[in-house]
Amino acid sequence: MLDYGTNIVAGVTPGKAGQSVNGVPVFNTMKDAATATSAGITVAFVPAQYLLGAALEAIEAGIHCLVIITEHVPIRDSLTIFRKAKENECIVIGPNTAGVIIPNKIKLGIMAASPFTKGSVAVFSRSGTLTYEIAYQLSNNGLGQSISLGVGGDPINCTSLVDCLEWVRNHKGTDAVVIIGEIGGDAEERLAKHILDTRFPKPIIAYIAGRHAPKEKKMGHAGAIIYGSYGTAESKIKAFDDVGVHVAKKPEEVPLLVDSALRR
Amino acid sequence: MNLALTVKYPVLGIDCMRLYEYQAKQLFSSHGIVVPGSVLVRSQNDVKEAVNKLGLPVILKSQVLAGGRGKAGAIRKADSAPEALTIFSELIEKPVQGEKPSAILVEEFREHVRETYLSISLNRSEHCFVLLVSGEGGVDVEAIGRKATFSLPDSVVDKKSVSKETMRIGLDEDSANSIANIAVKMGELSAKIEAELVEINPLAITADGNAIALDAKIIVDDNALFRHPEIASLRMPSNLEAESQKYGFNFVELDGNIAVIGNGAGLVLSTLDMLVENGGRPACFLDLGGGATEDVVFAALRVVSRFDKAKGILLNVFGGITRTPDVAKAIKDAFFNGLIRGPFHARILGVGEEDAFAILQNLPVFLHRNIDEAIQKLIADVQRIQ
Repeated sequence: MLDYGTNIVAGVTPGKAGQSVNGVPVFNTMKDAATATSAGITVAFVPAQYLLGAALEAIEAGIHCLVIITEHVPIRDSLTIFRKAKENECIVIGPNTAGVIIPNKIKLGIMAASPFTKGSVAVFSRSGTLTYEIAYQLSNNGLGQSISLGVGGDPINCTSLVDCLEWVRNHKGTDAVVIIGEIGGDAEERLAKHILDTRFPKPIIAYIAGRHAPKEKKMGHAGAIIYGSYGTAESKIKAFDDVGVHVAKKPEEVPLLVDSALRR
Repeated sequence: MNLALTVKYPVLGIDCMRLYEYQAKQLFSSHGIVVPGSVLVRSQNDVKEAVNKLGLPVILKSQVLAGGRGKAGAIRKADSAPEALTIFSELIEKPVQGEKPSAILVEEFREHVRETYLSISLNRSEHCFVLLVSGEGGVDVEAIGRKATFSLPDSVVDKKSVSKETMRIGLDEDSANSIANIAVKMGELSAKIEAELVEINPLAITADGNAIALDAKIIVDDNALFRHPEIASLRMPSNLEAESQKYGFNFVELDGNIAVIGNGAGLVLSTLDMLVENGGRPACFLDLGGGATEDVVFAALRVVSRFDKAKGILLNVFGGITRTPDVAKAIKDAFFNGLIRGPFHARILGVGEEDAFAILQNLPVFLHRNIDEAIQKLIADVQRIQ
């Protein structure tokens, strides 16, 4: 993150205050770090068992954006973090996300930087590596990104795809949006309804992974699971088709669809 | 390669942690939710004793995790001890959706006048758990007509409002009170064991208005198991599951003959979709996870090597925190250890790709720039050897 130019002003590890890593001072608590540096954003890499305490500490310290990279967070911990964050007007991204990148500006997370280039396509995704794949395809076709954000692979996403879409509704630097969805839950269906209800003004292209996934099996992500007919790729693709969002059949097709949407 | 390691795994993959009916019913019973009397039977010799203890008629229920047991004929009624024995012998040998039971639950038959439905499940988009009550049980949850739902932001079920709403959807006062009582206990149980789903379908109502859980489905949050050793111990992971947990990759068995391996759930899902759409059949889904090291990739290839039905391997890796030279080194080691025998086609991209290509030079790994090309070549190769 430092290499990418992210302005990291503090690290927090209990018992390690006074040390420094790559020139960044380390503090014992989030409160100490936030007071000393007035940092506004925190990226959490804390192991799942300790994440709840760490996240609540960050929120109480007045952090206004918390990116949770940690995977395998218990559902009820995520729900508690979600509620606490809402009360304190803190934006939480994740858990189980590769993070957020605004190309050439800031990187908050663990994604490889190389697939991302600066441009005007916003990418919002439920998946990590698949996002690199699609960003790579976009970049190769001259379509840079205004932002790329992973909402997380868990059943609970503290920031939803709907929230993400609202951030770029009036953003001048964003001309088109790419949604990378997958099986499980109903985030895509809700997003489709939101697009229709609010007449989202910019072109949206989607890709959904898991069209041939079996039912009742967790496919790598805790959130990627089909129960009965709930969470199937068909349901998501249909929801998008119904509101005029083009769904790519494979990652390579995404830049072609974005390009033709932008030309229209 | 040690052939003794080639085991047939009954339940493969990192499933959600679903409990067997008999395990769920034990939890129900210890939390005050009434269930029919029952005996778990593993051997023919114990059927008669179970029948004597429970009285006739009895219900025999195959203990598998697969759904749709009723439709599959895996739940049967017996009116005599010899009939119970015959049914037991059939059920214990009968796989349900490919899954063979290790035990049969023999249960007393409870007369009832009505079947209802009760569940507490996670609503992902609303960020809370939800209690669902319906006067129609014994059917698919999607087919349920009149129902009442309650958001449970703090997991606490309010008995009065559940009772009131249950009467509003057409149940009498006694039944509604019984259901509300069970709902409160279900809320406590769900919170205590950190369940993702607790479902009673059907919840039977007897002539005197009491509620009995005829079935029990519990899925616990496997990420919270570190706080619940008593629940974690209920799980009997297969060797493969234990191995994939140890190394932190995700493995799900499928029906076909091509192993699909990649890094990142979304990328592997996407690769699997493209394989199927090109006419191929995946034998497994194997997600190496984020930042897989050489050891993890090697362990994954070892698992695939023991998986007899995988005749070819398709690997799709996008390097990031996973370093592609590490992946390449593991593949090379796997070759030298005789773990890779069938055709192997790969697409490797991203951080360190040039080094990865150099490591794989002179090995029978076919590298492709384009995933479609890798898929088509692999399908052709696998067809040729079969």
